[in-house]
Amino acid sequence: MSTPITQEHAALQTFRENLLAAPRRLLDATFRSGKPTTDRTRSTFVFGNVFLHLHAVRTHRWNLRWTTTMGLGIASTAAFLITLITGVLLMFYYKPYPDAAYDSIKDIHFVVPTGRFIRNIHRWAANVMVVAVLLHMARTFYTGAYRKPREFNWLIGMGLLVTTLGLSFTGYLLPWDQLAYWAITIGANIAQSPREVTDALNLTDNFDPGGFQRLLLLGSDVVGDEALIRFYLLHVMILPLALVMLMAVHFWRIRKDGGMVRPVDADQRLAPRSGETYPVFTEAPQKTYQLAAIVKGKTGVVGRGPENTVPSMPHLFYAELAVLMLTVLICVALSLVSDAPLKELANPAVPENPAKAPWYFLGLQEMVAFSAFMGGIGIPGIVLVGLGLIPFLDREEKGTGDWFGGPGGWPLVRRTIPFGFGIAILIEAYVIRFGWLREWFPSIPQLVITLINPGTLLTLAYALYSVWLVRRHNSTRAGALGLFTCFLCGFIVLTIIGTYFRGPNWVFYWSPADWPKH
Amino acid sequence: MNKNKHLLLWSSVGVFLLLVVAAWSENSNKEWRRIQKSASNAEGALDIHLRQVVNTNLNSADRCVSCHAGMAPGESELKGHAILAAHKPVVHQPADYGCTICHGGQGRATDKADAHGDVHFWPQPMLPMKYSNAGCGTCHTPLNVPNSDKLASAQQAFERLDCLACHRVGGRGGTLRPGGGGLEGPDLSNVGFKGYDIAWYDKHLAKATAVTEGPWKASFGAIDDVQRQALTTWLNTRVGSSKLVEAKAAFHSVGCMGCHKVSGVGGDAGPDLSRAGEKDPGLLDFKAVPGERNLSNWLKEHFRSPVATVPGSQMPAMGLSEAQIDLLTMYVLSLRRRDLPGSFLPKDRVQVLRFGAREFATDGATIFSAICAGCHGADGKGRRYPGTQAFPSIAGQDFLSLATDEFITETIQQGRPGRKMPGWANEAGLKPEEIQKVVAYLRQLGGNTATKPETTAPRWVKGDANVGQRLFAANCAGCHGAKGEGGEGPALNNKILLATATDTFLIETIKAGRRGTAMQGFESPSPTRAALAARELESIVSFIRTWETKK
Repeated sequence: MSTPITQEHAALQTFRENLLAAPRRLLDATFRSGKPTTDRTRSTFVFGNVFLHLHAVRTHRWNLRWTTTMGLGIASTAAFLITLITGVLLMFYYKPYPDAAYDSIKDIHFVVPTGRFIRNIHRWAANVMVVAVLLHMARTFYTGAYRKPREFNWLIGMGLLVTTLGLSFTGYLLPWDQLAYWAITIGANIAQSPREVTDALNLTDNFDPGGFQRLLLLGSDVVGDEALIRFYLLHVMILPLALVMLMAVHFWRIRKDGGMVRPVDADQRLAPRSGETYPVFTEAPQKTYQLAAIVKGKTGVVGRGPENTVPSMPHLFYAELAVLMLTVLICVALSLVSDAPLKELANPAVPENPAKAPWYFLGLQEMVAFSAFMGGIGIPGIVLVGLGLIPFLDREEKGTGDWFGGPGGWPLVRRTIPFGFGIAILIEAYVIRFGWLREWFPSIPQLVITLINPGTLLTLAYALYSVWLVRRHNSTRAGALGLFTCFLCGFIVLTIIGTYFRGPNWVFYWSPADWPKH
Repeated sequence: MNKNKHLLLWSSVGVFLLLVVAAWSENSNKEWRRIQKSASNAEGALDIHLRQVVNTNLNSADRCVSCHAGMAPGESELKGHAILAAHKPVVHQPADYGCTICHGGQGRATDKADAHGDVHFWPQPMLPMKYSNAGCGTCHTPLNVPNSDKLASAQQAFERLDCLACHRVGGRGGTLRPGGGGLEGPDLSNVGFKGYDIAWYDKHLAKATAVTEGPWKASFGAIDDVQRQALTTWLNTRVGSSKLVEAKAAFHSVGCMGCHKVSGVGGDAGPDLSRAGEKDPGLLDFKAVPGERNLSNWLKEHFRSPVATVPGSQMPAMGLSEAQIDLLTMYVLSLRRRDLPGSFLPKDRVQVLRFGAREFATDGATIFSAICAGCHGADGKGRRYPGTQAFPSIAGQDFLSLATDEFITETIQQGRPGRKMPGWANEAGLKPEEIQKVVAYLRQLGGNTATKPETTAPRWVKGDANVGQRLFAANCAGCHGAKGEGGEGPALNNKILLATATDTFLIETIKAGRRGTAMQGFESPSPTRAALAARELESIVSFIRTWETKK
């Protein structure tokens, strides 16, 4: 055996050099584009990173104005990330089995170090998320961002809204206390509410979609361990996965649809660029970097001179991080001030009175008090279908990218607000003061009330008003602006009444202090 | 970009500050830290750290000693805050057993409200200090507990005979031997649990007669049987917690076990109480309960007015005194049995669980007051509660002179199906010798009335049932119901009654009536009706007998 000693030494030598170089190479492999000190390296950094490449490499200055988006989309995402992290932490202690569930929440609340704090953050972030998602949708609507070519993304956004509400609702049952139990009982009864119609038509024995929906939701006739495991699975697996996937599509579509919406004259309306933003490194006037054969539509940058864009890194990332931290700040601050509620162990024998759904469903519950089907399924269904149709009915282009853009504009919205609030309050006040058909004609068929109740009348009034707006301004957008504003007002009025002014047996009280003592 | 930079900076600073605040309040700003900081022991300031008593057998980690540091293992005599005081001397060292096993509450929590359980909806709050002896019931159960009267007379005997001159009980009495060497007599506080020499009396007496002078000669003399029995009762109930024994004696005085089971013995009409002290206040209805929302207040109100507290409850308002309610509340709170590892079961509990030992004293008086008195009254003269049928008098002379011991025994064993009276010859009932003691006690209650011996055959009557039916409708149905189903008076169509009662018993009862009840004697006329002749009486009995075969 005669191995060439020199060669062996050389291999060892190389090994030693590689070993010494390993830390540096690890860094190089991780940050492949080198230090992000120039625009070029920053750009490579952004599109070389799986998380960052959701962003365009450069961002239009219009998008960075606070008033363009108010950061609501990022706030929603941030709130979701917070619930995700705190939720995973809570899963370490939570046991999804009826009595054990309640005890484990008690443990989290009273015993586990920082358990109460984490649970508070989870609960507040969930509420912040619902609010942020609703406001984000309002922003998208008012800036006309649903219009072509963003119709599909608007639909994805609606899916995200429903998933968000579903996540929040399924989480409501998990503590297995009285609050949870009876809120979910209400939710399950709403799912069963098509029975109101099938009962009236004498169909229930043969055709019972309501009963099926309730069974599908609860897995049993009552809210029991089957329901809990279902809600748990939905809450920690199915809905979060659905949400993440929808979010991925949502973000991806933003870029595919030509980035954030902005007015056609955005460049002219922007203040001249200051020193901190500088022109894109190639100011080629005729730049077309799209793959014309594959990507349809025009990109916003074609045929324009010096772009009003700035590198996403760091300009956009600072803005996003700022919103993220602001959301964290809000959630943490609220968590320090207010504890998540926990009532006594769920007791099917002792109904809560009033039993209230989560706050964002209290507007629906207010309408459910008149007709379970219309309030719980009919009107929300109409609203969802209407929202889904908006981008396909409003094919106008005027005002896209501007707040309250389009015919009528802000003056229309401003005049609609008092109308929307007024008529909702008026109808509610009338019903609270004088009652409704059931009080006047006790034997009236339920089908009549299902069709004619304060909820449907309110919807009808809003619809007629928006039809009138369409005719007056000769524009679908004007009608949509009016209708959306009206529904927003109605939602606020009904939610506030349901939250603060309804007591035992869903009777109106000015304050909980007036509730009858037992 | 600068605006965004600033927003990022300040919101990050805000989050950081809030997290610092949260961390500070979660860790440093703890009451127990401040308390420990104020404390000092013989060696100076106390080392500040989280203290706890861990008992793996009981599956407990009690951090109560973080505030109550004077009770922590190895600590004593802390100066400072009152909360730092050492535990008063008890049998079970808190440093070994922890705190929650006796006192309840939340051992792992480190905030006062959480730990004491004064949080709305917390299921296992601490026992109120007033009832803290109920905590013994977590593991122990005093055995052979008589009713309140017997306990009181036992106490009197012990005091009157001046046993406290030499012995110490519950911190009272006892004389130190001159020149050291401990007490003259041993401490008797726990003899009921630890056991004692049955021949103590003979040995005492032998010692007293052997000496010619000194404390033995001066302080011990012969004790009669009755007094010695009282002393036995007294010694048997010295198990550390005299308050709990007193509470249990109250429970054995008002007949609760006629309807409720405890440790497998008792009636079925009411819920089993074996774990009634563990009720979760969150699941109880406090609408009718004044004062603080806790189990002891709920129990008290429940004793005062059961129906108002538990809608639909069948339990009558027993008319208890506040002192009795207090004792009963304490006893029910003590029914909080914990599932202990076998090696941890105390021997009193083992005796009950494995060997069927009685928790009540098995003398006739205690059995009667613990089981029968609720319905038949402490004097056996029957009771009537609003809304219920009257419960019969069973200690009257008229009844006892007719009812043979066999009749009474049979009735106790079989009960009266269809009425509240359950049969007691079963697992949850009484042993034959215990039933005999109850029968004997009944005779004693009725003034030692003996039965007239029956010379006739059990079934000698041959009357005309059709005539009897008419007479029954006219004279008896008003109280006993047209079909003998009972009303104001007891049911007569009861198979067990008809099987047990002899013809003579029935005839004589109708003839003489029952003094002290609504049942008149039909042998003599009253202003509203004529007397019944012997043939008529026989025909009524024949009619009653027809129910024996009917469904």
